[in-house]
Amino acid sequence: MEALEAVLLGVPLTLLVTGASLSIGVVLGVPLVMGLRSRNMPIRSACRYTVNLLRGIPAIVWLFIIYFGVSIGAFQFDAISAAIIGLGLISAAYMAEIYRGGISAVHAGQWEAGHALGVSDWTTFSRIVGPQALRVSIPSMTSYAISLIKDSSIASTIGVTEIVFFTTQDARSGGGGLTVYLLAAAVYVAMCIPLGLLSRKLDSSLRKKVSR
Amino acid sequence: MDASQRAQPMVSLRGVSKNYGERTIFSDVNLDVSPGEVMAVIGPSGAGKSTLLRCINFLEEPTSGQITLGGRTIRAGEGVSGRDVQALRRKAGMVFQHFNLFPHMSVLDNVSFAQMRVLKRSREDANKRSLALLDRVGLADFAGSYPARCSGGQQQRIAIARALAMDPEVMLFDEPTSALDPEVGLEVLAVMKELASDGMTMIIVTHEMGFARDVSDTLVVMADGKIIEHGDPRQILSEPNHDRTRLFLRAVLGR
Amino acid sequence: MSFITDWLDWFPTLFDGLLLSLQITGLSLLLGLPVGLLLAVFASSRNALVRGICVGVVEISRGAPALVVLQLFYFGLPSTGITLSSFTAGFAALALTTAAFTSEILRAGLQAVPAGEIEACQTLGVSRLDTLRFVVIPQGLRIALPALMGFAILIFQATSLCFTIAVPELLSQAYSIGSSTFKYFSVLALAGLLYAAVTIPATWLVGVTEKRMSRHLTLAH
Repeated sequence: MEALEAVLLGVPLTLLVTGASLSIGVVLGVPLVMGLRSRNMPIRSACRYTVNLLRGIPAIVWLFIIYFGVSIGAFQFDAISAAIIGLGLISAAYMAEIYRGGISAVHAGQWEAGHALGVSDWTTFSRIVGPQALRVSIPSMTSYAISLIKDSSIASTIGVTEIVFFTTQDARSGGGGLTVYLLAAAVYVAMCIPLGLLSRKLDSSLRKKVSR
Repeated sequence: MDASQRAQPMVSLRGVSKNYGERTIFSDVNLDVSPGEVMAVIGPSGAGKSTLLRCINFLEEPTSGQITLGGRTIRAGEGVSGRDVQALRRKAGMVFQHFNLFPHMSVLDNVSFAQMRVLKRSREDANKRSLALLDRVGLADFAGSYPARCSGGQQQRIAIARALAMDPEVMLFDEPTSALDPEVGLEVLAVMKELASDGMTMIIVTHEMGFARDVSDTLVVMADGKIIEHGDPRQILSEPNHDRTRLFLRAVLGR
Repeated sequence: MSFITDWLDWFPTLFDGLLLSLQITGLSLLLGLPVGLLLAVFASSRNALVRGICVGVVEISRGAPALVVLQLFYFGLPSTGITLSSFTAGFAALALTTAAFTSEILRAGLQAVPAGEIEACQTLGVSRLDTLRFVVIPQGLRIALPALMGFAILIFQATSLCFTIAVPELLSQAYSIGSSTFKYFSVLALAGLLYAAVTIPATWLVGVTEKRMSRHLTLAH
């Protein structure tokens, strides 16, 4: 029971780190995907390199760079900020790729229909293609969110007091190391279940909107 | 060539029925096919023709009834053993609407594979037999190619060679030309016609009325889960007994 | 340009770390992929108990973060009397993760093999095992190849988690140089570039494979 308490103590920060970095990713992913689809060659390749580097270097390395490596004068990031910024930037790269997939899944005829009606590029994107692309992206976004909950455990390595941090602490002080890890695993599994349900609900309600 | 004149039918169905839950596909079908007989099965879509054909070699297990094929009998519904089904299938070759060739194997391997694994022929013997069969369907030059490089008609002829390689006593054809352009279908029908004239026992579910009339010995018309006509093709096609047949023929021939 | 001389200094050490990271990746895949294939095949077993065990193993090992699995093997197992070296714990944990994730990828691949080909095998009298061995698995593997390659890249990145159990892989080497020179940014950036030097070309290769596969598959139908 004591072990369960220890594990649950970490839940708030796990949720905070996941939620905050996911929000950063969802928002920053939009300019990034526009850059990826830009007709301007330097912008496009700059965005491509950014996405590749963010996805190509392990999250733990990014967190270490931000936490240990960045110091501007006397300023250094605290562990929670470093974790959120690092995971947020990585999420932005993954979101941009998800959005890109969503946009290309929308039939090209939708763009043509918009243009044929004399609607501008931006309006066609924001009112016609964008909403449909978002709907297509929802399942990938949810499975990314689920993997982000698990990846947030990496924040424990720079001292953020989330689930794995307390789990390791408890395992090292107490004797029954195996139990507390299995409990931690169960808590992660339990946190992912509502997300799965939410995605199904979002998916069907958005589907209704699009089909109407 | 009337079926009843022959003593030992090659294929015989007794009281065969098939349901999916509440839905009846066909019920109480009785049918005999003599050795060397070519039987065409026609009828509107949804009549249960394909399911009936697939029940003959237990690709679908009938809900009830008894099937005899080349002297082996299996009664449906009482714990059918895998070994019996295996033995029964060995006597029947099957050709599918969508060919179902193995895309990762060369044309030659497609035909040789089951000979080696099931009949335990050596690679040499199997390939020799395969090449002879590919030559017979006019495709010996394609032995080394992959199915994806062949046209639909060629793929279906390869599939026929693959089935013949197992030395079946009966050949079952499930709409073999339905996925093909009419022109391409002709080359497949030509191979089937030759097979028929060589004395192979064949059951063919088809939409090809010309083939049903000119090549088959007997014609079966299925509608609404029943056999409504069974007899001489020319007679049925010109003077059907049943209104349902007349309706169907008018729809097929009248376009 | 002092960082260049630093990088040249550090490079041999970091390169040793990179080789160890690649070695752990290779071992995890070598051990995890066959288990993943077995799990994929038995997940569609007709025996409910076998099926249940497979699904359970897969779901728990996929649901828990790799970091938890890793630390469970290293810090948790000793309480049951099993003590593994950090290297063994590292690749065993990553192999389990590999098995769980690849079993799902492989299962999707196996299911993508057209049912008609399995029926063709049945009518030819080919046994269930031979059908699996000669028809379903070769094609399923081919279909799953791009996703498997993508997963291999993720496992390579996940070897960096072995830092937490003191395996001297790439990140550990970089961190220890950082803590003795206090040039964290520089050494971690070099480590990051070394990771990227593997993952970015590999990702490109996945893209090429994917394109070739889709062309191959469209030709076949």
